[in-house]
Amino acid sequence: MEELDGEPTVTLIPGVNSKKNQMYFDWGPGEMLVCETSFNKKEKSEMVPSCPFIYIIRKDVDVYSQILRKLFNESHGIFLGLQRIDEELTGKSRKSQLVRVSKNYRSVIRACMEEMHQVAIAAKDPANGRQFSSQVSILSAMELIWNLCEILFIEVAPAGPLLLHLLDWVRLHVCEVDSLSADVLGSENPSKHDSFWNLPGNTQTLTELELKWQHWHEECERYLQDSTFATSPHLESLLKIMLGDEAALLEQKELLSNWYHFLVTRLLYSNPTVKPIDLHYYAQSSLDLFLGGESSPEPLDNILLAAFEFDIHQVIKECSIALSNWWFVAHLTDLLDHCKLLQSHNLYFGSNMREFLLLEYASGLFAHPSLWQLGVDYFDYCPELGRVSLELHIERIPLNTEQKALKVLRICEQRQMTEQVRSICKILAMKAVRNNRLGSALSWSIRAKDAAFATLVSDRFLRDYCERGCFSDLDLIDNLGPAMMLSDRLTFLGKYREFHRMYGEKRFADAASLLLSLMTSRIAPRSFWMTLLTDALPLLEQKQVIFSAEQTYELMRCLEDLTSRRPVHGESDTEQLQDDDIETTKVEMLRLSLARNLARAIIREGSLEGS
Amino acid sequence: MVSVINTVDTSHEDMIHDAQMDYYGTRLATCSSDRSVKIFDVRNGGQILIADLRGHEGPVWQVAWAHPMYGNILASCSYDRKVIIWREENGTWEKSHEHAGHDSSVNSVCWAPHDYGLILACGSSDGAISLLTYTGEGQWEVKKINNAHTIGCNAVSWAPAVVPGSLIDHPSGQKPNYIKRFASGGCDNLIKLEEEDGQWKEEQKLEAHSDWVRDVAWAPSIGLPTSTIASCSQDGRVFIWTCDDASSNTWSPKLLHKFNDVVWHVSWSITANILAVSGGDNKVTLWKESVDGQWVCISDVNKGQGSVSASVTEGQQNEQ
Repeated sequence: MEELDGEPTVTLIPGVNSKKNQMYFDWGPGEMLVCETSFNKKEKSEMVPSCPFIYIIRKDVDVYSQILRKLFNESHGIFLGLQRIDEELTGKSRKSQLVRVSKNYRSVIRACMEEMHQVAIAAKDPANGRQFSSQVSILSAMELIWNLCEILFIEVAPAGPLLLHLLDWVRLHVCEVDSLSADVLGSENPSKHDSFWNLPGNTQTLTELELKWQHWHEECERYLQDSTFATSPHLESLLKIMLGDEAALLEQKELLSNWYHFLVTRLLYSNPTVKPIDLHYYAQSSLDLFLGGESSPEPLDNILLAAFEFDIHQVIKECSIALSNWWFVAHLTDLLDHCKLLQSHNLYFGSNMREFLLLEYASGLFAHPSLWQLGVDYFDYCPELGRVSLELHIERIPLNTEQKALKVLRICEQRQMTEQVRSICKILAMKAVRNNRLGSALSWSIRAKDAAFATLVSDRFLRDYCERGCFSDLDLIDNLGPAMMLSDRLTFLGKYREFHRMYGEKRFADAASLLLSLMTSRIAPRSFWMTLLTDALPLLEQKQVIFSAEQTYELMRCLEDLTSRRPVHGESDTEQLQDDDIETTKVEMLRLSLARNLARAIIREGSLEGS
Repeated sequence: MVSVINTVDTSHEDMIHDAQMDYYGTRLATCSSDRSVKIFDVRNGGQILIADLRGHEGPVWQVAWAHPMYGNILASCSYDRKVIIWREENGTWEKSHEHAGHDSSVNSVCWAPHDYGLILACGSSDGAISLLTYTGEGQWEVKKINNAHTIGCNAVSWAPAVVPGSLIDHPSGQKPNYIKRFASGGCDNLIKLEEEDGQWKEEQKLEAHSDWVRDVAWAPSIGLPTSTIASCSQDGRVFIWTCDDASSNTWSPKLLHKFNDVVWHVSWSITANILAVSGGDNKVTLWKESVDGQWVCISDVNKGQGSVSASVTEGQQNEQ
């Protein structure tokens, strides 16, 4: 195993001094809590002044930056486009697509930089201004690195054009190069220089180029040997520069802002047709010469050096350490993976690294109340652990509004995450029940396909009906449709409501049969039978005979069944007696009604032909 | 980059023993030697005291939030041998149930995975572990495992819910047959795995520590057939136990690190990829497993004086 490159960094939490007390911590869904404590559990505390503060700490706070948000949003679109690039595309067309993607990413970085720069200038508070400015330089460094990676790894410029690309690269990032070029061009033999440098890249082959350059180079050397320009030291040093003499170049150090500028300039004059594989030699020595042992390389220098050495892995590793969020390495690695570069560079875990970085980045997005939606798409494109990571994160999104809940549910349903759907619906259903919104609770339990809960809510509905004599949320119950089948109690609720509807529409015969079937099919809970039988009373008392004799016998049977087995549930004696009284009266009334109905029914059926 | 995004002043008058974020990270529950349990709303970097719950007669050691589908429920356990379950009803927090079935300090409470229902495991210094199951209408059924650990039980942690066999959806709403398991750590230097098969019985003993086991933490499931448990002890060691297959039942320990002092607390991040360890050396260290199975320390979170330096970067080591 590779050793750690250094000690893990230490983060200090400001707090009460005290080597005496220990630090307690725990994980929140997206953050960590720390506080001071004493783990040695004793009953009497030692009267050590304790710190009542709890610190909530997080990484990935960049997620909260307003301006960076645009970066995250727009790069998300580019990321998706990249994933969808036709895998079958090969060769030149694929390469040009990948280069375009890379340029898109870079333009997004530049746009962000520009905006942040504006904010930095306009900042009223100098501290803020400085903070924004430092962010701008970080973004600038990111773009610098990305650009170089694009040239070396994606564009894969062959020898010759490579230097032109590098020249552009330097020119873009270092303004001063223009003044140096002006110097050079202003020297003797401008025509020779002009004709050399105004190359339309395609018309000359590499060998032609190299030949021309060799010829010109030799001519310069001859001039130097012959001391043609001995009289003018300025021109002599110019000549030396044009010959790529490092010492001469270094004398102009103030014009060269950094070592890679020096590198490119050096290459320009000493080896313009440099091949990519030879770059690293020049790079290392340029860095060493430029620093001259006075200072040590900065992280940015190391990253660029690694790039020149075509050590992709090292580039990614250094960037991960140096940068404060995963955005850069995640997207760059993903792009390089699409260029099939991670495998060819012999990384032990190839595209696993891509996934690892994307997972880290996406997890960070979930810390944000709206950016989490971007995270979903990133998880989708992580074949190994994306799904399970999404499952774990998506359940933790606070469902403060119905809209948000629906959004989350839709995402889960689209991905067949049934466990999460059920869990979320259950949470919402419970909340609705607690707020007495039974209709809402019912629809959530139906969506969750949660039979047990549907039963619970249906019971509440029925209880409400018993207490108030009417139903709430009629619309919902009336339109249950096949969802009614979810639970027996729910079916009963639906059917019972249907009974009421039929009665209201005066479809007495239908209502009567339905009522009876509810009892005989045992769908109706026993506790409700009395209510049902009581509901039957008005039907029994109608002028016309509604219940047939057969049906009346059934009803009587139900009544007897009910009265023979009266449940006793720990009610007080007096209550019991009172209930008994009411019960008895009801039962008596029912028996009377049923008997009367039976008589009429028999008569009617007996003389059917007559009527 | 790690930053302090909020500092909550709990105003506890004595040592804080536990602080837990709720499921969504919007509320914070804390408990202290001052016998109170407090709940704060910590959204958007703020802090609003929602409840100051009194009811314990001794230092309160731990608090635990139940899954939101059961509503807003918090459990707390204390030196006073009691476990109290608090509930939010109509916007106010009240004591919903009190369990006084232990003979000694109750040290740890942990809610079971929500799939099992509303079940709370409590570990006590009397060596017993009690399991409270909510059966409805304010009633809780109690099952007790006596003498789970001689001398005392210090920590309990549930295994994530895994449906045995295939993970087919049960549309009729029938509860699939879960095998409920949890791990407990005690003063007998052992970690025990308890399983419910009709009755609760001890399924395994994990031996590796040479002193009291202070904490156990069962890692959340990431869909792999491996199970992982972290344990820490008075002996300064933290072990990672893995079992490769649910059926094989062989657990193999790997030493994460030997610290110079007692290690009190271990805890997994929600995606189980980082283990945080809190030790007597005043530091919280974060550990991650690398591809070749080695555990690497990725960061130190250290309490101390001075301001949080904005340029301190967390050593994000790529998996090697």
